[in-house]
Amino acid sequence: MSSLFAIIIGILIAAGVFLLLSRTIVRVVIGLSFISYGIHLLILTVAGLNQSSPPLLTLPGPYADPLPQSLILTSIVIGFATTALLLTVALRAYQVAGHHDVEAFGDNLARGAHGKGERADPEHQSPDAPEWTENVSELRASTSVPPISTPGEQP
Amino acid sequence: MLTLSVFFPFVIALVCAVLASKMQRYTGLLAATGFVPALLLALPLVGMPAALPTRELTSWVPELSLSLLFRGDGFSLLFAVLIGVIGTLATLYAVSYLSADEKFGRFYPYLLAFGGSMLGLVLCDNLPLLYMFWEMTSITSFLLIGLWHTRGAARDGAVKAFLVSAFGGIALLAALVMLSIAGGTTTLSQLNISAVQASPFFIPAMLCIILAAATKSAQLPFHLWLPTAMEAPTPISAFLHSATMVKAGVMLVAKFGLIFGASALWSAILVPLGLASMAWGSWLALRQTDLKALLAYSTVSQLGLLMSLYGLASDEGRFAATAHLLNHAAFKAALFFVVGIIDHETGTREIPFLHNLRRTMPITFVLALLATISMAGLPPLGGFISKELFYEAMLHRGPAFIAVAVLGSVLTFAYCARLLSIFFMPRKLNNDPLPPVVEEERRKALKKDIHEAGPALYLPAALLVTVALVFGLWPQLLERLVRTTENSLQFGALTEHLALWHGVTTALLLSIFTWLLGSVVVYFAPQVATWQKRLTPRWNANTLYYQITDGLHDAATWLITRTQGLALPDQLRIMLLAAGLMATYAVWLSPQVFHPISLPLAIVPIAVLLVGGAIGVLLSRNRLTAVVVMGLTGFGSAAFFLAFGAPDLALTQLLVEAVTVVLFLLAFRYLPGFRDLPRTRGRLLLDSLLAAAAGVGATLLTLSSVRFLAPPISPWYLLNSYPGGGGKNVVNVLLVDFRGFDTLGESLVVGMVALAVVALVRLGKKGEPNPNKPATSSLHVKEHPEESMPVTKEVNP
Repeated sequence: MSSLFAIIIGILIAAGVFLLLSRTIVRVVIGLSFISYGIHLLILTVAGLNQSSPPLLTLPGPYADPLPQSLILTSIVIGFATTALLLTVALRAYQVAGHHDVEAFGDNLARGAHGKGERADPEHQSPDAPEWTENVSELRASTSVPPISTPGEQP
Repeated sequence: MLTLSVFFPFVIALVCAVLASKMQRYTGLLAATGFVPALLLALPLVGMPAALPTRELTSWVPELSLSLLFRGDGFSLLFAVLIGVIGTLATLYAVSYLSADEKFGRFYPYLLAFGGSMLGLVLCDNLPLLYMFWEMTSITSFLLIGLWHTRGAARDGAVKAFLVSAFGGIALLAALVMLSIAGGTTTLSQLNISAVQASPFFIPAMLCIILAAATKSAQLPFHLWLPTAMEAPTPISAFLHSATMVKAGVMLVAKFGLIFGASALWSAILVPLGLASMAWGSWLALRQTDLKALLAYSTVSQLGLLMSLYGLASDEGRFAATAHLLNHAAFKAALFFVVGIIDHETGTREIPFLHNLRRTMPITFVLALLATISMAGLPPLGGFISKELFYEAMLHRGPAFIAVAVLGSVLTFAYCARLLSIFFMPRKLNNDPLPPVVEEERRKALKKDIHEAGPALYLPAALLVTVALVFGLWPQLLERLVRTTENSLQFGALTEHLALWHGVTTALLLSIFTWLLGSVVVYFAPQVATWQKRLTPRWNANTLYYQITDGLHDAATWLITRTQGLALPDQLRIMLLAAGLMATYAVWLSPQVFHPISLPLAIVPIAVLLVGGAIGVLLSRNRLTAVVVMGLTGFGSAAFFLAFGAPDLALTQLLVEAVTVVLFLLAFRYLPGFRDLPRTRGRLLLDSLLAAAAGVGATLLTLSSVRFLAPPISPWYLLNSYPGGGGKNVVNVLLVDFRGFDTLGESLVVGMVALAVVALVRLGKKGEPNPNKPATSSLHVKEHPEESMPVTKEVNP
């Protein structure tokens, strides 16, 4: 039985890796989910697959191994959190970059040094009154974040 | 009482943060009550000095020898009261100083938190606690300096101050660790001093303490953070730079001088360092045109003076330094308040723009005059008395030292005169009229109707000036205060008394010489200014700081572009190849165990679901299909869990599966299609190979892991679940009890993800236009949030 599932795990992981390497961002997210399915199966399989009863002490034994189960339980929840985060990042990346091509996401790094921000002048301090900028875009403009490619730049 | 005075400001800070939106500027009145317990410390200090020191101990983390141990000896209490007085005055001053649209909910809580940290720093007697409060002052001062964080200069100043003082903080930590090892305890007052002095850690610990003190107290070459810290509002500058933040290093030197003073190296480093900072600080102060910058460099200079006096580690040094500590706090805070008033009423701080203010602002003029006289060391104010003591101490030290001290004082005299020049007509000194460009700027900067400030602004300054004046006219009071520290600073044997008139001494002659020379410098001010311009080095601590930070920035950028410049999938391919190589090695080492493949009928649907989902998702061209097909694998996993004795997992998997589908559907509203963008033929081949290798590798890994190399530990959990954890569901007990920290970490991860998701989603919400788009598109964003999403991009031209 474990050999059968070893092959199934292989298929799941292969599918996951293939999706993970694609250029479309949604495929990347789905690929990661498949890899975690595979890993969950792997953890339970290597602990030994036998049809014993669940580790509930109210039932008669022999019991299944509880340790891999608790590890997988943690992993499922973390996997879900990762998927959620990745989806949101995908969403945001798409909004900012204007495209969903993973291969083109890194291009802003290659542009080299960003600005280093405004300097305080030790001999002339700024006027002693707040200038609260309500306009966030103005604030951002002053924090030297370089524009990443805007939608208009994409063909 | 001690514990209360440290923590009360934090409590009031919380209250202020809550009430600030209602009370607006009057939050300051509430905030001032935060310093009341600190002020009350004056009672034990003056009332019953014989009962000192008092101790208060609250156990905190005994395993780390960390306890809330506070010790009220004379010096600590005097310092605490000083912080309380200046803190209260600065808070009250801020009430009428700040503009109505200030963020009071930040200003006052930060100020109180800083004051509380400072009080903790001077009162604590536990070394780990000392470090904690030291770093808390760094953090809270960072918040205060960067209060107007929308301004780049304020952020830069805050970061600079933080970096420099955090650098010193690391040195302090090292010193405290060495001290507690050498001294056998973490209680400061119980350190075995002779053991410390005999230990090999003595010199390293001493150097670390000096480094920490020099960074915090802005001694050369770390003075660079102080002038830019003036980006904070003036009440904060007054608080930080007269009695608190910058005096923390001085306090460190005063307290630890009792241990390290035994070494000649201590004073051999600190006295020249202090004198150099004093002279260089006043030289720089003399060339400033901005009043706040002038005060900033003057603070560097005065701190140098204090540092050199405490660094002497002699009785007269500590006596003189403590007297000057009080004088400096009084006149410097008063001067900051005065500069604040001038800025507030005239609209500028530029010395060339201001003149003849004594006519329009007579009260401010008198206050500034008296405070400046004290700073310049002229009788009959307190500053004169402590300057005399300073001369005495340096005379005993040697001719080179007194020469630098006189030089520094001459320059101090000169910049004091420069400060006062704004109250007089400048043309008496210099007949040239202002150049037309400057005159134009001046006209723009100055307010139209300049008049005297209200009493709420000048009363705090007036109080401090009165104190400075009383210290001078009635030196017995000053001496009484200074003498409260004689036990804690161990100068009780000194019989010297404070007085304005000591007879004709060398120090007096030197003072007169200083004033004469100072007057000459003032008379030739324009020539001196030209000289200063010529002598200013292009390279200084500030440029060095930027060279270092820019260098780090450039190096990081270089490294990132070199190592992470590839497209993300390519980086992933490299990572997978590396992981594959390692896995190959592992699989090659351990033999695989093949069981003949049996296929019980019950397992067939599970296998079909699992594999079907994987293949289906690869074949699907529509994202909805893809998610539904992915669900097949999810349900397959759940069925698998159910089949092999893991109903909890099955349940969780089903729930997560359902929520994931909802999540994907939500995201699809804003995301484009699912169709695979074309990969180049080479990449496609590589990816297929990688995927196949990963699959085969996972299979082999599973096969080689199915045998146990050691007896499993699980039976222990089955046995102990009920007796140890009180639960019959062993998986649950494992999660919440035996492996509770795992679950805690897991909850933290989920919480952080939730925060990140909220932040990311809100970034794209309306009202906050996409920062990276040109401003022209923000019009659309405000009305139709969806249109900012490029889903509908085709609609927009």
